[in-house]
Amino acid sequence: MANLKDIRDRIKSVKSIQKVTKAMKMVAAAKMRRAQERMEQARPYSSRLQEVINNLLPEVDRDLLPLLAVREVKRVGYVVVTSDRGFAGAFNSNILKTAQAEIDVIGKDDVDLFCIGKKAHDHFERREYTIIDSHLDFWNNLSFSDAMRIGDGIISHFTSGTVDEIHVVYDEFVNVATQETMSELLLPLVFEGSDATPKDRLYEPSKDELVTSLVPRHLNVQMWKYLLESYASEQAARMMAMENATSNAEDMIKDLTLEFNKARQAAITTEMLEIVSGAEALSG
Amino acid sequence: MKTFPLDIVTPTRLIEEGDVTYVRCPGIDGAFGIMANHREGIIALGFGEVKATKDGKEEFFVVAGGFAEITKEKVHLLVETAERSTEIDSSRAEEALERAKARFKETDESSPSH
Repeated sequence: MANLKDIRDRIKSVKSIQKVTKAMKMVAAAKMRRAQERMEQARPYSSRLQEVINNLLPEVDRDLLPLLAVREVKRVGYVVVTSDRGFAGAFNSNILKTAQAEIDVIGKDDVDLFCIGKKAHDHFERREYTIIDSHLDFWNNLSFSDAMRIGDGIISHFTSGTVDEIHVVYDEFVNVATQETMSELLLPLVFEGSDATPKDRLYEPSKDELVTSLVPRHLNVQMWKYLLESYASEQAARMMAMENATSNAEDMIKDLTLEFNKARQAAITTEMLEIVSGAEALSG
Repeated sequence: MKTFPLDIVTPTRLIEEGDVTYVRCPGIDGAFGIMANHREGIIALGFGEVKATKDGKEEFFVVAGGFAEITKEKVHLLVETAERSTEIDSSRAEEALERAKARFKETDESSPSH
């Protein structure tokens, strides 16, 4: 029979853990809402940009842009977007599992990695994969300039020919309860062919120069989207994980309280038995 | 005077300026103006000031890097950053200028002399 004091101590420690998980849940909820707002704000820019590029592309020569070049694939780049911190349920492990499975199909020696978030970096470094570049510790002050910095780095490795294809593995934010691990081809860029008839429009400077400056912008916005989606997913996953942890703690407290009361009752019964049998022995 | 709606769109925010009669934009080859019924087109923008005339009053924005998309119905300025003149924190801006100058000087000194 467990000691009364032991049980009381355990109840106390579970209660204090519950306080922590509750606080973490609320923080994650607030951060997630902010990330969602930013996703909303980014949408008009990216959709307009996409539309403009779709309209322009049929009218320019594709060879003009190295970012559109489809080369024979010798080396593949993988961008893996995870968080810096854990306590987010299966968020990171799902992404890492998907990424690693895809990379192992190609063969670890033919893949270069760009790790975003500490979890991805640690995971692949431990397993001795080739990591070209890692971006850590920026999630707390996530800004568009981070997306540009990361985007530019990745673009330069593609244009210099280090890698011939770039994939991104990240978690897409569907809603609070659902996040989907996605793997997308980032480069070379593939645009849906638009069959819009050429418009009588004014282009300044030239169409070619416009496309050359627009496509890298599009890529940066794409990168920004990945980061925001991932951040929102991370917070949503953490929120759910902490919600579960809080309710598990609640259950534990209930069970422990029951056990405590049983132990207390048993102790009283034993004591009473002792008294009664003692009294009986005296009177007998 | 005929008006048209103007939107300034950046990756982090959308400024719906509403119906304006005139916009002056910093093109990469110099400033240009847009009025209602302008020819449709896409024009690259540099860094600089945007002036919008709305109800006879002038409003100013600072924008950096992007382009103007002119359609029959609407004008979009898609730029990397945009700030309304009334929102600019001048002390913060000056600090940024000082920082930039310092950095400029630093790289100037560290680069080999010719």
